Amino acid sequence: MRHTSRVHALLHALRSAATSPTRNARSAVVLGRLLGLGFVICLLTGLYSHFLQDPASWMTFPTRPVWLYQLTQGVHITSGIACIPLLLGKLHAVFPQLFQSPPVRRPVDVLERASIALFVATSILQLVTGLLNTYQWYPWPFPFRQVHWALSFVIIGSLVVHIGVKLPLITRYWRRRDSYDDEGRFVEPAAELDPVSAEFAAETELRRRRAVGTAAPAAPEARGLVGRLQRWIDRDPSLPPAVDEAGAARRERLSRRGFFTAVGVSTGGVVALTAGQSFTPLEPLNAFAPRQRGIGPNDLPINRTAAAARVLESAMDPAWELTVVNGDRSVAFSAADLTAMTQVGADLPISCVEGWSQTGSWRGVRLADLVALVGAPAGAGLRLTSLEERGGYRVTEMGGEYVADPLTLVALELNGERLSIDHGYPARIIAPGRPGVLQTKWLSTLEVLR
Amino acid sequence: MSVPVTPRPARGQRAARTVLVVVGVLLLALGAWVLVDTVAPTRYAGLLLWLAGAVVAHDAVLAPLLVVASQIARRTGRRVPPAVLVIVQAAVVVGVIATLVVVPEIVAKTLGPRNDTVLPFDYGLRLAVLWLVLAGLTAAAVAGYLVRARRQNVRPSTTQV
Repeated sequence: MRHTSRVHALLHALRSAATSPTRNARSAVVLGRLLGLGFVICLLTGLYSHFLQDPASWMTFPTRPVWLYQLTQGVHITSGIACIPLLLGKLHAVFPQLFQSPPVRRPVDVLERASIALFVATSILQLVTGLLNTYQWYPWPFPFRQVHWALSFVIIGSLVVHIGVKLPLITRYWRRRDSYDDEGRFVEPAAELDPVSAEFAAETELRRRRAVGTAAPAAPEARGLVGRLQRWIDRDPSLPPAVDEAGAARRERLSRRGFFTAVGVSTGGVVALTAGQSFTPLEPLNAFAPRQRGIGPNDLPINRTAAAARVLESAMDPAWELTVVNGDRSVAFSAADLTAMTQVGADLPISCVEGWSQTGSWRGVRLADLVALVGAPAGAGLRLTSLEERGGYRVTEMGGEYVADPLTLVALELNGERLSIDHGYPARIIAPGRPGVLQTKWLSTLEVLR
Repeated sequence: MSVPVTPRPARGQRAARTVLVVVGVLLLALGAWVLVDTVAPTRYAGLLLWLAGAVVAHDAVLAPLLVVASQIARRTGRRVPPAVLVIVQAAVVVGVIATLVVVPEIVAKTLGPRNDTVLPFDYGLRLAVLWLVLAGLTAAAVAGYLVRARRQNVRPSTTQV
């Protein structure tokens, strides 16, 4: 019994310490809406990126606009970054709830708190690992891509459960005019809507009155560390009991304005200072993105170098040939053969799953012309093989919509020069609207799928 | 003082909540299935540890630090006008969030990027410049507030936020 009351006193003290005018249900609703929107944008753009790389057999994808994947993946990474300050703000707004006393009232509360713990844990982990993935730093003991994929469903499921559980509070504080009174002070929820907060508010009020002597002391003060913590918090000079209503309301509005300004400026700031790796208008502001456009061989950044892919020798071999196969028909093209064919130019972006992208001026042989020479049927897909000895993208498949597209090239030149070896010399694929990992470098074989 | 009336939860809302919880649980089950299907069981322990670590890092380290910092700011900043305190607090929050985003980048760069086009900048220097710019803007905002408060001939209140 005594133990229970000490725990209660401790939780009450912690919740009091964490209480602030910015931590309320209206702040949670405002930030929750933005964060929910960010999470949904990340989910949809993430699904698109996932299925581009791992399509079901019946899927086809649009090849126009050519910057479609550049846009969706740039938005994926940028909204993920924007979610970091928003998530911190959201957690700030609801932090006192962590100390609700008693921790659970009904058996169903265990499930609710467990679902919130799961939601918070997966959201933080997803944003942290996603950010670090763009820095190509992987300090965790699990595979990034698979876990990122699985957690996206856990997060969206927890979000939907969370909205279901909190729906009465969300609708109660959806509109600003229902959330604040005429002086701009937050209107506490009715007791039946949030019994835990109502009980906390009642107990706080009782303690305040006891402190100023208008209520008889009921229970003895907690002793030891808990008691000292409690008294330190109760002595809070920011809450002098004699303060007038207008002054208190003014302070509450001021705190709130500061809080939303801080979250807004942080969100805008991290977006503005990093999104230049994905979006041209923000390029001049790029201060903190892990990539900068225009840096690298052929003035374009790279992910996997020829040395990392172990193709330095095979790619430089003068006897290199590109073999194009359709069933039992097979034609081998030397670099000179490819150069002698009709050359086509195309301005297409390299768009990485890590969010950065840059448009390059490519020149080479139209892929459709090449596969026509082995009699590939219209709409047939291709299996592309690279000279790489290993790696998840050594062998990939390309849907018929990309093979037939007149802008899809076996590129030999980039930005006015012969392809650098790190960009896939002697020949690479460049197709509109596909992730960079599928723009196979150091081509070796093209095989028509039938 | 107008206190909005809380409407009785309508039948529509009860139905919506049921649908949301059921759909959410189904999506959670899908996530669990995808996880089991794609991630080797030997990695589960590490994943659980990192999930728990994420909550601990926020709930037991970051958030309490903020609570203590703001309690101390309230107590020591007693002679400072509340608006000035709010401006400074907001600027610190902005700087801390930017730092949280950039510090892993500095570490990753120290560990050695895979090639020269990854992490090309001196992020530590840029972060320092960001803090300087932030300090300058904060000082300007505070000065602007104090000048405006004096012009309006209103003595800045010294009560706390």
